[in-house]
Amino acid sequence: MQRGRGLLRRIIVGVVFLTVGATAVIAHHSFAVFDHSQTVTVTGTVTRFQWTNPHGFLEMDYRAADGSTKHYTIELTSINMLSRAGWTSRSVKAGETVKAMVAPLLSGEPGGLLLEVTLGDGRKLVSPVPAANTFTRTPEKELR
Amino acid sequence: MTAAAWVAAAAVLAGAAAFATGADAQSAAVGGASAVPDITGSWERVGPGALAGGQGTDTRTPPPVPPPPLKAAYLGEWRARQQAAREATAKGQPIGINWVNCLPDGMPGMMQGPFPMEILQTRDQVTIIQESFTQVRRILMNRPQKKSDEVDPTFYGHSVGRWTGDTLVVETVGIKEEVRYQNVPHSSAMRITERIRLAQPSVLWDEITIEDPETLEKPWTFTFAYRRMPNYTLLEYICEDNREYIDEKGLQRMRLGGPAPAR
Repeated sequence: MQRGRGLLRRIIVGVVFLTVGATAVIAHHSFAVFDHSQTVTVTGTVTRFQWTNPHGFLEMDYRAADGSTKHYTIELTSINMLSRAGWTSRSVKAGETVKAMVAPLLSGEPGGLLLEVTLGDGRKLVSPVPAANTFTRTPEKELR
Repeated sequence: MTAAAWVAAAAVLAGAAAFATGADAQSAAVGGASAVPDITGSWERVGPGALAGGQGTDTRTPPPVPPPPLKAAYLGEWRARQQAAREATAKGQPIGINWVNCLPDGMPGMMQGPFPMEILQTRDQVTIIQESFTQVRRILMNRPQKKSDEVDPTFYGHSVGRWTGDTLVVETVGIKEEVRYQNVPHSSAMRITERIRLAQPSVLWDEITIEDPETLEKPWTFTFAYRRMPNYTLLEYICEDNREYIDEKGLQRMRLGGPAPAR
């Protein structure tokens, strides 16, 4: 019985995965430009939280290993999806220090897709990325 | 009472009567006794391929869209293009599509969502607004259809509708050849017939049939399902700062480093 349930659960999970996976194409653009196999953590200062369509953006400055300040551009989903997930234009503020979990651009350019962000007060906001479960979360690795 | 006052009073009464007639006609058309279903309101796509991930209230969601029954002359090229798109995506270099340039779907793509849509029923027109890209289509009620060569091609075409029992039957012609659903080619003779009805009080089905004597072997039929969103008001959607673009190789790219320069 237990085994039967386990199998049933796997089938259900599989079906949900397939269904959600199919939604990956239903977005302003393909998310295939982002690395699905690893995440990086960007901790730094928000220079701008941009509440626009077709996507929102989190512009951040972080301290690199050599002591210099570098810039990183983080794309969010459509602000309509963010709104429906409970975000507002005031969810993140410029000047705030945040920690962002990002699926980096495959091109190696300093940018990525936001999966979740931990705010200055410790609250964590999850970004409503389509087919979010197709992005593999790897152990925290700070961008330096 | 002076003659002028009588004239003014008569004018007011006539105006009121005209208003009442309009209101009666409206209620007869929209929700009266012999009534057609009331489909006004916000709706969200459910079922296979929906952004809501199939979280429908209806377990009888329609099957996924079948492959297009293209004629042999078009089928090979379409399959090759779809395969190339899949391979490019797998390589992390997706081929740019209309949305990357902030171009809307047009018909019939806008009926697939992905965001909620609003339907407004009035006496002479049913208006459908899709939240993404603020897409609007107007279905003119009880009007004759134009011939394909009488309309200028547009994204949403020329749509006429009529209620047949509980079903809103809509015919659309005049879709731009560049406006393609699932990359499927079509000619200026393409005709879309929709049968829109409430499958359940809060579940709407749109059965879409595409006919094209030039490109299709036989009619291509599929159904989209939607659930009612009773308390949802459509949000604004303007492509204000699109940082995605399609490069010279046709691939989707992302511009970094801040918002677009001030216009």
